[in-house]
Amino acid sequence: MKSKAEIVIIGGGVIGASIAYNLADKGMKDIVVLEQNYIASGSTGSCGAGIRQQWGTKMNCLLSRKSMEIFENMNEILDTKRDIELKQGGYLLLAFSKKELDQFKENVKLQHRYGIPSELLTVKEAKEIVPQLNTEGITGATYCPTDGHANPFRVTQAYVEAAQRKGVEFYTYTKAEDIITEKGKIKKVITDQGEIQTNKVVNAAGGFSKEVSQMAGIEIPTKSERHEILVTEQVNPILKPMVMSFSYNIYCQQTPDGSFVMGYGDPDEPESHNIKSSWQFLEEMSKKATHLLPFLKKIRVIRQWAGLYNITPDAQPILDEATDLEGFFMAVGFSGHGFMIAPMTGILMSEMILGEELSIDIELDLERFENDRLILEPSVV
Amino acid sequence: MRIENHPILDLDRDEEKEITFTYKGKEIKAYEGETIAAALYAAGIRVLKASSKYERPRGLFCAIGNCSSCHMVVDGIPNVKTCITKVKEGMVVEEEVGKGDIVD
Repeated sequence: MKSKAEIVIIGGGVIGASIAYNLADKGMKDIVVLEQNYIASGSTGSCGAGIRQQWGTKMNCLLSRKSMEIFENMNEILDTKRDIELKQGGYLLLAFSKKELDQFKENVKLQHRYGIPSELLTVKEAKEIVPQLNTEGITGATYCPTDGHANPFRVTQAYVEAAQRKGVEFYTYTKAEDIITEKGKIKKVITDQGEIQTNKVVNAAGGFSKEVSQMAGIEIPTKSERHEILVTEQVNPILKPMVMSFSYNIYCQQTPDGSFVMGYGDPDEPESHNIKSSWQFLEEMSKKATHLLPFLKKIRVIRQWAGLYNITPDAQPILDEATDLEGFFMAVGFSGHGFMIAPMTGILMSEMILGEELSIDIELDLERFENDRLILEPSVV
Repeated sequence: MRIENHPILDLDRDEEKEITFTYKGKEIKAYEGETIAAALYAAGIRVLKASSKYERPRGLFCAIGNCSSCHMVVDGIPNVKTCITKVKEGMVVEEEVGKGDIVD
């Protein structure tokens, strides 16, 4: 293990790996990534893996569209050994009220302004895309054919291997335990495997973002919350897009290997680091999914898991450098949509860390929560 | 050849009661209580599915519900373990190709 580094990134998920790769790609040396478990073992590896560009703010439209452009070319950009399994089957977003549909109409206008090929659909048109859809209660939909999903393990591994070829060192099963500061500056990171002297730290700790910030004496308003998922047996392709609804509270996709991956957010889920699976989820999820897509009654669930959403008060991430601690960068609080914007997050954070001009205007600073500048994104899970 | 005894399942076969089901649209006779695979085997059918990746022929193998070699589409449901599922009057049994289709 190195005793000195230019920068220490805490978190070996897709965010940490993407930041490490982009920093190394810009020529930074001596980059270390610490991962308390194995690569993508936290929120990344347990995520629903959707990549959606249908957002309701300019910033999110740009973040997601530019990220999708990178996903589309990721095998070449990162020279990946194994395909990232990007499937662009689209996202079908379902509205269940007039109000929701009106919001979708506004969103589509905005999305078109930023080059996202989404479209507003009638119920009949939605059924043409997913013929098995139970349209009861549905008022309309939007569809973006270039949305989709990818394999989060392979994407992260692709970033890790590309970063390693540029000299980045990843220390897995190495837990950051403390961050030592002196007069507003970072001195070193203490891990359970030894100490690393450094002046720069990136908090990319996902579900443990608050704890890592606290090591540096920085309070951030993130909280972690369990989100459960189940996966079914594999069958031949039948469902093209990711089917999703904010109000009905569901997402369901069929992966390229044929299994269905689905989840919903429990509004009563308490703040915790609990990632146990529950029978309550299995029961409720099965009911919800088979109501919307009745053909799912014919196949079996094979497995369940859960991961942590790291949530901020406005459900938008914090991409910032701490005002009170020079060199302490944060890429946290992705609130359930970190994977899909990880490519641009890596680029933006590398620009921020190297003092370059940011390629997208973002307002994801930590101070927004105190200054009442919350981001009003209508399209969050 | 007809499979009369199963090492694990108590099938309660009754050769007095003959039933009919269809396989690939063809009518097949079976005895009440026997498994789908046993009835197909007795009718001389050896290929039950095409393997999920290369679509190579697969037949009865473990016969105790473990190996997935006998998965077929039964009444629209894919991946049914026909070696441990009892045949029923009027059942519609199809060969499974690849990972199996969900049929409405």
